[in-house]
Amino acid sequence: MAMKPRAAALAALGLAAAASIALWKPTVLIYGVQQAGLYAAIAIPMGLVLGIVHIVNLAHGDFMMVAAYATYFACKASGMDPLVAALPTAAVTAALGWVVYRLTIRKALKAPELNQLILTFGLGIALSQGVNLLFTSQTRKISLDYVSASLSLGELSFGVWSFVFVAVAVLYAYGLKLFLTRTTTGKAALAVGQNPRGAAIVGIDVDRTYGLVFALALALVGGMGALFLTKSAIFPGVGGPFTMKSFCLVAMAGIGNIPGILGASLLLGLSESFLRAFRGLRGWADIVFFVLIIAVILGRSIKWRKS
Amino acid sequence: MNRNLSRALAALALSAAVALPALAGAYPLQVARNVMIYMALAVTWDMLLRSGQISFGIAGLFGLGAYAAVLGVLRAGMPAWLSIPFAALFSGLVALLIGFFILRLRAMYFSIVTLALAEIFRIVIHNLHDFTGGPEGVVLQGVIAGGDAGKLYWLALAGLAAALAASWWFENSRIHFALTAIRNNETSAKSSGVDIFRWLLVAFVVTSSIQGLLGGIYAHSFGFATPESVFDANFTLLPLAMALLGGIHSTVGPVLGAVLLGLAAEWLKLKLPYGHLVVYGVIIIVVILFMPQGLLGMARKAARPAERRTA
Repeated sequence: MAMKPRAAALAALGLAAAASIALWKPTVLIYGVQQAGLYAAIAIPMGLVLGIVHIVNLAHGDFMMVAAYATYFACKASGMDPLVAALPTAAVTAALGWVVYRLTIRKALKAPELNQLILTFGLGIALSQGVNLLFTSQTRKISLDYVSASLSLGELSFGVWSFVFVAVAVLYAYGLKLFLTRTTTGKAALAVGQNPRGAAIVGIDVDRTYGLVFALALALVGGMGALFLTKSAIFPGVGGPFTMKSFCLVAMAGIGNIPGILGASLLLGLSESFLRAFRGLRGWADIVFFVLIIAVILGRSIKWRKS
Repeated sequence: MNRNLSRALAALALSAAVALPALAGAYPLQVARNVMIYMALAVTWDMLLRSGQISFGIAGLFGLGAYAAVLGVLRAGMPAWLSIPFAALFSGLVALLIGFFILRLRAMYFSIVTLALAEIFRIVIHNLHDFTGGPEGVVLQGVIAGGDAGKLYWLALAGLAAALAASWWFENSRIHFALTAIRNNETSAKSSGVDIFRWLLVAFVVTSSIQGLLGGIYAHSFGFATPESVFDANFTLLPLAMALLGGIHSTVGPVLGAVLLGLAAEWLKLKLPYGHLVVYGVIIIVVILFMPQGLLGMARKAARPAERRTA
């Protein structure tokens, strides 16, 4: 009940911190926000799957990696721009998601949670090592001119391309919110997420809804995979770290709270970018996230025990 | 199986394992060493799994043990033989410390936290340049026992023996009942007077210190440790696949799985330079979907079909 004032206080604190960073080193703020956009856009589909299908997809990042590879080869073969390829890639990964759901996830839904965890863990390994097997661990990159576009404001100069991730993250979050509250399919999915048995009783095809949600999540991940390729070099292990980061962000926001992922990503992106600003601390920036995830999980476990 | 027969088989396997250096060359011994390390890790992973807790952090405690052993020699001037038990002690202490916090977590939260902790260990070691050598790692003056293939083999065999002995102890003492009760139903375990947290802590500390011991043995048999070599995700992944394939909640299952997968991986490594681990991913998927009891469970099912159906 005391959530509202506390959330407001936290938001005020965050704003104050952001403002002081902005005055001290504006690039820290800018790159932090860009990084946050990337994290959020990748985490949101995982939040969707966790919120509705109740599966922790440990292959999440690897699906993005597969999408990026598919985009890479499609672009190399046809000379297409990765941006143009984002939509077809999304369609392909959606189909892949449907197949993966039908063949594997669906059969483990009734199994203990631990089996599901190990299953998706195995899926992730099969995907990343399968790509490794087919295309070796060589890094691949597509060079694009517009990615290095930068903007100068007075003395300040920074890259602007990565703001596209922020835009996609916001689009994903609010698009999904609209989908889940305004469309019949979306409402059905929400109902299934809240209570699968109740949803089945009122005539919703739970199995089909799960499949659809999984395919939709993978479509979003696939689109992100194509976008990811515009900015970064790819290799078979590139997706793995994003699985953990996404899970952390979803757990921080609270399962089922998709717009909350945006705030959680902002916190992670800004703190990483803040640490990177100090030369001596640069190597420690990676640890922020892991400390954060443990703190969040332990903090939540204490809260659960109280309630 | 007949008890006498299984004892005779075990004795035969033991004498063959001890005598192997007299029969085989350097390459088979090295393969055997690798397989034994993974086998021991698979057994320790399974020991904790018997309480229902899935750890994804084997590589973390293994790597800590490896660094504890190497740094014990280089920074504290320990003799090599002492640094290996020190590695076990160190990993055990770390596990005791973190166990107090994380053993209150369950299911996926426990698993994710162990995975995150393994990453934290790696990043800390990676960043303490002056003490741990940073990304380049640390190199010992020489490999333990002068790098003699037979002695290194016996060292790994001793590590495996420690894991198997601990697992046997877990199977044949009160711990077995405590862990099984916790796995089956925590509420009923608690109401029967099982101190859940204490037994989980015992299991976690024992398995972690054996993982540290194995890390120490591993680092000493190569004479160096780098963050990438000893915190390799394979030290989590391979034991997991081995235990799942062989059959979980037993000692025999992980051993069987490790022999099969270890030898298969060695063969595949020669055939496929990249991505031979895809086999592990596929095995995990297939086992979870079609034979959650592993090979051992299938063998039992085949041996007693009637009993199974009524159960």
